[in-house]
Amino acid sequence: MESLRILLLMAFRSLGGHKIKGLIVGSLLAFGTFLFVLGTTLLESVERAMEASITRSITGHIQLVSARAVDRLTFFGPEASSDQDIGVLPDFSRVREVASKIPGVAAVIPMGRYYGQPILNTELDEAIEALEEAFAEGDPAVIEDRIGKVRRMAARLKEDYLRAAALAADDEEHEKAIAALDRVTSEEFWTSLRHAPEEGLQFLAFEIAKLSDDESMLYLPFIGTDLHRYAESFVHFEMVEGEMPPPGTRGILISQAAYDQFFKNRPARVLDLLHEAKTLDGRRIADDAALQDLVSRLKEMTAQVTMHLSPRAATELDAKLRERFPKVEGDLDARLAAFFEVDDENFAERYEFFQKEVVPHIPLYRVPVGGTFTLRSMTKSGYPKAVNVRLWGTFRFKSLERSELASAYSLIDLASFRDLLGLMTAEKRRELDSIREEVEVSEIDPNDVEAFLFGEAPVIEEGGEADLDLDARLAALDRPTDEDSDTFDPAEIEKGTILHAAVVLHDPGKLREVMARLQEAFDREGLEVKPLAWSEVTGIIGQLVVVLRAVLYVLIGIIFVVALVIINNSMVMATMDRIGEIGTMRAIGARRGFVLALFLLETLVLGFFASALGALAASALLALLGQTGIHTHQPFLIFLFGGTALYPAIDLANVVWSFAVIVVISVISTFYPARLAARVPPVVAMQGKE
Amino acid sequence: MSTVRTRLAAIALVLLFASPAAALTDEEALELIKLQDERQNSVGDYKALVFIEQKERNKNDQVYEALVYRRDVTDKMVILFVRPKEEAGKGYLRVDKNLFFYDPTVGKWERRTERDRIGGTTSRRQDFDRSRLAENFNVKWLGEEKLGKLDTHKLELRAKPGADVAFPVVHLWIDKATNNLLKRQEFALSGRLMRTTFLPKWFTVKNSQGKDVWVPREQRIFDEVEKGNQTTVVIRQVELQPLDDSYFTKAWLEARSR
Repeated sequence: MESLRILLLMAFRSLGGHKIKGLIVGSLLAFGTFLFVLGTTLLESVERAMEASITRSITGHIQLVSARAVDRLTFFGPEASSDQDIGVLPDFSRVREVASKIPGVAAVIPMGRYYGQPILNTELDEAIEALEEAFAEGDPAVIEDRIGKVRRMAARLKEDYLRAAALAADDEEHEKAIAALDRVTSEEFWTSLRHAPEEGLQFLAFEIAKLSDDESMLYLPFIGTDLHRYAESFVHFEMVEGEMPPPGTRGILISQAAYDQFFKNRPARVLDLLHEAKTLDGRRIADDAALQDLVSRLKEMTAQVTMHLSPRAATELDAKLRERFPKVEGDLDARLAAFFEVDDENFAERYEFFQKEVVPHIPLYRVPVGGTFTLRSMTKSGYPKAVNVRLWGTFRFKSLERSELASAYSLIDLASFRDLLGLMTAEKRRELDSIREEVEVSEIDPNDVEAFLFGEAPVIEEGGEADLDLDARLAALDRPTDEDSDTFDPAEIEKGTILHAAVVLHDPGKLREVMARLQEAFDREGLEVKPLAWSEVTGIIGQLVVVLRAVLYVLIGIIFVVALVIINNSMVMATMDRIGEIGTMRAIGARRGFVLALFLLETLVLGFFASALGALAASALLALLGQTGIHTHQPFLIFLFGGTALYPAIDLANVVWSFAVIVVISVISTFYPARLAARVPPVVAMQGKE
Repeated sequence: MSTVRTRLAAIALVLLFASPAAALTDEEALELIKLQDERQNSVGDYKALVFIEQKERNKNDQVYEALVYRRDVTDKMVILFVRPKEEAGKGYLRVDKNLFFYDPTVGKWERRTERDRIGGTTSRRQDFDRSRLAENFNVKWLGEEKLGKLDTHKLELRAKPGADVAFPVVHLWIDKATNNLLKRQEFALSGRLMRTTFLPKWFTVKNSQGKDVWVPREQRIFDEVEKGNQTTVVIRQVELQPLDDSYFTKAWLEARSR
């Protein structure tokens, strides 16, 4: 004990005597510790937040897939947009039955991720439909209003066709289109339409509507699921607009971000983007090339406002814009283009004007909540499948509203999803079996087809199957009724085929334990199902944390290696300096072990204080950040942070770890010079020789 | 009928005087594929009830029942799905060498290519259409081969320039005893094998002129690219009465689902 006291005193005295060396080495160790504690704590906070983002919104804690899956199920990143061969789970009810018996499992939700193309009515389609309705209702003012709208659109369409005709080699279809448009842009057409609407409306619907083809190649990624169970099980889920479809009703819920991005009127959307960039991100149009580009595109979008305005609304808006831009020549479009020339000074006021004076007069979304549209997907073999779905509402994941990743998927009912992918339900299976039963087709072994089929000379029969009435088959053609298309038997959801399923746990800490139990139970029941942890299905996002962690560790590693070399060098030099002192100690009876211990203790003391300082500084910073939060408006960071702010929490384990690492580094770096010092023979030291 | 007889006699004569393993000249090979075309040529209109079953690895099976209408003189064709309910009313229309697909849910027509997989199966439009081998391909005899217990001629067909075919190179195995087509393999231009089809069962139907029209009762199609995928096409019944012109219009197909 006494010698430890002496050792400590000597160590402090020695440190005091070599201040510069102590400062350099100490700073390095302190910085290393600071980075270690700060980095690992931040990374762990991000990891926890991201886990919450993902598991509480989309994947659940565990995903169940077919054990025969060829590809890995992936929700995000480039792999998610390619076709994944993940097989199928033929009977969800069995999977759910087995999985929900495992302790710790809170919910099992059927799923399937895919993408489809919304086939939307063109704006002209809608204007013609509105005109038909106006004639049905018979209000002359409304009829004139809507005639004006269709005429304006037809005139624009004709301009487009004439422009295209001037550029391209003309063909017959083109000429026909221009002739049809000539007719509807003439005064006679509208005069006769007012007197006898029937023929004219039919001409508009059959011949003109098809000429406007603004189908954009928009693909909507979606998850087919039991919507109610999804809403209950994923705590981040919340409706924004509309309502949940009643149980057993088909429908789609679109994420609010996707709804705004793909379905919103484009100029209104661009104004929103500018508004967000300015108010949330503090960006300025004057010094932001991306925002300037948006403004210049905005100026070309006037038609997407004016074509929707009724003549009355157009006149009113024009009057207001004339007051603002008295010098601008031309029509409403020219004045609106001037209005759209926004800058940092006028933006807020113009944005407000647009919301107040324009938005109420245009359809803000291409499909309103409550409306129906056709969603079409291609099967892997390129066969198109389509369903008509009602848009019941929009949703978002709490605190992840601005994250594009979290908003990537929309949600569709499982019955429509199965229709789009051609997946089986018990009812469909029965129907296919009944078709199959009529035809005798023998199973053949694909490896021995020729021997099986050509074992004997084939008999050429006369006539096909008897008693088949082909015309009766045609007459019996039976399309699904409207009732079939809108509703389904909720029990069917349970029994049919799905692609994968999400498992939500009561305690995410028991993930590995539950996964092992699930695997055991599936094996025991003979189900070919494989559980995957959430981190395994997140693709590039899951790997990101691993990469960040690796970068941090490499960085810390480099700092510590540098510290190690510097400590080692300075200690060797210190040993040389102190050779006389060591010799004297040795001469008055200090053993080698004492010298060794002295040198080690010196570095340990330095390491302790330096890392304590580093850890303290990191903890103070983390405590501050834990209060204020690290704020972001970057969509990707929002996803990583699980919201617009990350509140890191200090983990004592990281502090303890950093101390342990410092001790090891101190010991390693001092060991060689300490041994060198311990080996100095007293007589050499006394002679003042090296 | 008389043309078929003449051809058969010509082929019989060739085979009688030739040694057993003698090669067929290009002309003889051409006669053999012309015989296939003529046997299957219904001359007038054609109506058939077809069963299609698709089996895929790791996927649910798919089964369809469809009606096929053809007017071979003008090269027009309609495939209309009647069952299952979910597919009923969807269909293909081929007019002027263009193939269109109609889905009543979408209510729009879209142009598809010759390579289009009918109903997403391994079958193609040509599997339901009249045989036009001699018109579309040049032919050469490759040799003799045993198929199960049957002796066959193996022929290689290469598409003529501008021919509208799904696959540019085709190998055929034709039964030496009956001149009946038993097996077909189709290749991409690169030489990659795409499909193998077996035609183990045939039946004949008499047309209004009393001619026997040959119909492949069963076609077993194996996808050689997506291994494990297999389609069976069964032509259950064929009627050869004249059809109304309206069948081969977009309006007719649209009206089936209203």
